[in-house]
Amino acid sequence: MKISYRWLREFAETELPPETIADRLVNAGIEVASVQPLVEGLSGVVIAEIEAIEQDLGVTPAGHHNRLCRVALPDKSFSVVCGAPNAARGLRTAFAPPGATLPGGRAIKAAKIRGTQSEGMLCSEQELGIGEDGSGILELPADAPLGAPLSRYLGLDDTILEIEITPNRPDALSVVGVAREVAALTGAPFRFPQIAVKEGEIDAARIAEVEILDPDLSPRYAARVITGLTVKPSPPWLAQRLRSVGLRPINNLVDVTNYVLWEMGQPLHAFDYDTVAQHKIVVRRAQPGERIMTLDGQDRALTPGMLLICDPERPIGIAGVMGGASTEVTAKTTTVLLESAFFNPGSIRSTSRTLGLHTDAAYRFERGADIEGLREALDRAAQLMADLGGGTVAKGAIDVYPGPKPRPRITLRRSRIERVIGVCPPHEDVVRILQALGFAVDDSGLALQVVVPSFRRDIVQEDDLVEEVIRVWGYDKIPSALAGGGVLQPVIHPPALVLARAVTRALTSAGLSQAVTYAFVDPARLKVMGWDAPEALITLQNPISAERSVLQPSLAPGVLEVVALNGTRQIPDVRVFEIGQTFAPHREEDGDRPAHEELWLAVAMTGQRAPRAWHATRDRIDIYDVKGAAELAVYAAGVGDAETTLYAAGEGPRYLEQGRAAALSVGGRPVGWFGEVALGVRETFDLPAPVFLAELSLSALLDLPRRETRYQPLPRFPAVQRDLAIVVAAEVTAGQIEAAIRSMKLPLLSRLTLFDVYEGGQVGAGKRSLAWSLTYQAPDRTLTDREVNELHARIVAEISRRFGAEIRGV
Amino acid sequence: MAADPRVQDILDRALADIAGARSTSALEQVRVRVLGRSGELTALLRGLGKVPAADRPRVGQEANEVKGRLEEVLAARQEALKTEEHRQTLAARHLDLTLPGRVPAHGAMHPIIRVQDEIISIFEGLGFSVAEGPEVESDYYNFAALNFPDDHPARDMQDTFHVSADTVLRTHTSPVQIRAMKAQGPPVRIVCPGKVFRHDITDATHSPMFHQIEGLAVDRHITMADLKGTLDLFAREMFGPRSHVRFRPSFFPFTEPSAEVDVLCFKCGGDGCRFCKQSGWIEILGSGMVHPNVLRNVGYDPEEVTGWAFGMGVERVAILKYEIDDIRLFFENDMRFLGQFASASRELP
Repeated sequence: MKISYRWLREFAETELPPETIADRLVNAGIEVASVQPLVEGLSGVVIAEIEAIEQDLGVTPAGHHNRLCRVALPDKSFSVVCGAPNAARGLRTAFAPPGATLPGGRAIKAAKIRGTQSEGMLCSEQELGIGEDGSGILELPADAPLGAPLSRYLGLDDTILEIEITPNRPDALSVVGVAREVAALTGAPFRFPQIAVKEGEIDAARIAEVEILDPDLSPRYAARVITGLTVKPSPPWLAQRLRSVGLRPINNLVDVTNYVLWEMGQPLHAFDYDTVAQHKIVVRRAQPGERIMTLDGQDRALTPGMLLICDPERPIGIAGVMGGASTEVTAKTTTVLLESAFFNPGSIRSTSRTLGLHTDAAYRFERGADIEGLREALDRAAQLMADLGGGTVAKGAIDVYPGPKPRPRITLRRSRIERVIGVCPPHEDVVRILQALGFAVDDSGLALQVVVPSFRRDIVQEDDLVEEVIRVWGYDKIPSALAGGGVLQPVIHPPALVLARAVTRALTSAGLSQAVTYAFVDPARLKVMGWDAPEALITLQNPISAERSVLQPSLAPGVLEVVALNGTRQIPDVRVFEIGQTFAPHREEDGDRPAHEELWLAVAMTGQRAPRAWHATRDRIDIYDVKGAAELAVYAAGVGDAETTLYAAGEGPRYLEQGRAAALSVGGRPVGWFGEVALGVRETFDLPAPVFLAELSLSALLDLPRRETRYQPLPRFPAVQRDLAIVVAAEVTAGQIEAAIRSMKLPLLSRLTLFDVYEGGQVGAGKRSLAWSLTYQAPDRTLTDREVNELHARIVAEISRRFGAEIRGV
Repeated sequence: MAADPRVQDILDRALADIAGARSTSALEQVRVRVLGRSGELTALLRGLGKVPAADRPRVGQEANEVKGRLEEVLAARQEALKTEEHRQTLAARHLDLTLPGRVPAHGAMHPIIRVQDEIISIFEGLGFSVAEGPEVESDYYNFAALNFPDDHPARDMQDTFHVSADTVLRTHTSPVQIRAMKAQGPPVRIVCPGKVFRHDITDATHSPMFHQIEGLAVDRHITMADLKGTLDLFAREMFGPRSHVRFRPSFFPFTEPSAEVDVLCFKCGGDGCRFCKQSGWIEILGSGMVHPNVLRNVGYDPEEVTGWAFGMGVERVAILKYEIDDIRLFFENDMRFLGQFASASRELP
């Protein structure tokens, strides 16, 4: 909201410069986004009159109809070329003679324009930097003093403070409200506007009527009638004041409502009295099927429950949001019915949001208007309208206020200030601050009895007053302390955080980098990946885009996006992991958590195994890399080793290749999977090279019993190593063979290490060569060759028998 | 030297051969020939019985002296040859010590997680526990329990993603306050890290998803001065020993009084620079004294206990700390970006 420094000083008598005022406001909780001169770089522009149009210069290629005007100052006249359509004999306007400058540093010199000498320039609002209108030159009244500096005449030597008000402070959404703050902060006297209404003979109550049918949504509605008005442009001071705060002048009547809104914060609405049926206002909720054409020309359907301003026949306005077109003030209006009311903030907000109609009025009403101050605003506007429109204010105001509420009284203890803040300002300061802010204070008792003014709807309890006192006193006076004493308590870490950190440490140490991706993903991509039941997903009602409308049911799409993005940036080697929540609809076990959330790890790897280097291999990452990363994560979780179970046909995530994916489990409990990303998914994500993926449910790992590390005594007797090299059918897995050996339960076999896998060449089609190193060891003695030979032979025989293995070496 | 010509002969030839040996293996051959089991000198000593009895002690003594001398000379020559051979072996293997080393594989923690952990560890040191809560939250925990009335403009301060009428993506980590306080009685000292979501335009400074860390301390004698002291301490740990905070009044529905908190610009020390937009201060978090309504909502008595809370944007801190100019970089995960955060960080325990 823009606040004019000149305007502000009408109510707060201060000589402090605008920058200082801005500082004080910021330190009291009112943001000041900028402090800027109203007009920058304007000098030498004066008020002049077009004495005569001397010559028609024809239409320029740009379409301007140039004329040569004789422009008069009291002592001198100039010949000036002007293309404005409204340049006419007798018009007083803004004239920049040679030597003047316009905003943006434009210096005016005598110059030839299309062959004609022009001694200066006649200026539009836009050229002067005081408004938006560039369609013609500025029109000033006939009594504007010739030769006077425009700047002084229009009050352009002003500074504009752009302030930002938090939602709790609607009282500060006005010049008067900010002035009250400034007065409290600087000690300057605060002057409320002097309002006196000169009323006519006719009794307003006899010519107009107001009825509130829904006082819950409109507890107070006041109106005045102003008769005998003439609609015309506002005087320059008013038009300029509106322009200076970013409002567009329209006509004297509408401008008055905007002026008083800005000055006092009370939204007002002017109805054309003659268009209101029976001159009667009815305030009620909308009924089913009702519609209204609003001032902006939109025909709007109304929802039952929205608060309306009606006459006995139809809706004539959406209360607190926007007036109707049918009762709008027009050039023909002579009598105005002026509304100043209080509407329920929640109701206005709901209506404004439902209609998508955000107006200055709604902005204030939804924050809360001043139910007691609305009469003063009404009187101020009525008198201004009468003054500027040549009319008369009818006698008396119509004021329907069925249940006035007493102002709240709150007890404020100085001990409470001390308790909450750690320090308390002196008694006199507390009283002075509250009084300056408009509170009535009775300090005769032990605690202060404070009466809250009607414009401070945000103050409802003692701590609200504590904040008022301290923010004006100064947050910088709060000391810096550290809570001492109390009972020491252990620092607790959630197991999920501990596990996530352990896995992060393990994987980063192993050369993977950590990603963080958006939690919302593309449902179309999810569909390709196999999520085809929307009811298993959580969809946002208001996503930023369709591509980011579903909460991730898995981290896979996120890490695949990372691989894809790097691919498009010529980074083909990606080894990345992410730890984050996945989302599914609420389940019984989730209690009061609205969704089922699980903590997962996803690993994606593609490209070369090692960064290209003089010493590095050029091996490509394969499925065993992601498997190893997953195994490392399980190991880091300290719950035992991961076991691999091949998926049967149709099992496992659909985004992994059939037969190139397997489940991981720990102690028989499924914890995740790994595999190669399916071709269709790669195409969807635009991944040209094979990508390998592993996913682990950290939530599942957290449910497993932790295996504490226990020291195993180091062997005291030598071990014996024997190799076992076999050729078996390619379908026989290493896991099957190892399981077979383990199932023999040979206590002296202490270790089994697969050290070679070979296919092709001499091995023959459909076969595979596998070689293990077997370590035999006894805890209590040195094994004899005979013992070892016998054991090894048993293993060889068993493998040979069970798998039809051809023994290549033992 | 030796009077006995045979001893002298053995000595002379042995010395000449030792001097002439060009390798440790050639030297070994000399040693075997002279001093070996069936070496010349060994044989002579063994054959002393054939020497006339009168010469025997002298020849024996001379032979033993020669043996001792040869052993010394051999050892010296052996050492010299070994050193030379090692030198030659090394010289034969050419090295270029400017070649890059084989650096063990190393990945990077995401900068957000890294900064988040750093912030957590500062508060852990002050006795704060870590609490977590769900990212999909009910309207009650995200708003109502935090003193946001229905249909109140304060809700516009946090543009909200809706899952249903009464379910949202949490817009801040503050609902974890409510869950934590409901789960235990006072005193409470927690920090709550996590993802939060705002329906915002995405640009260099806004992201629909970001991370916050909530801090909460509730006890019998907690004041706004403690909040200031704690945040001063945090600022020093995070931004350096000269850092401290400034409080500005603000409004949050769940705190009263409320404060925006700025830290003294750690780039310029408060003189004004482009980081602090010439103000000398950088806004880093929102905070305040826990609103009595919030305490009542979780069954605490605001006359018995008071508390403070703050909410800090992790991206904001990371952006300042690492001089990152676009928040979107955090969520793109370009490997060249992530790789810049691979260095060991002091902050991790």
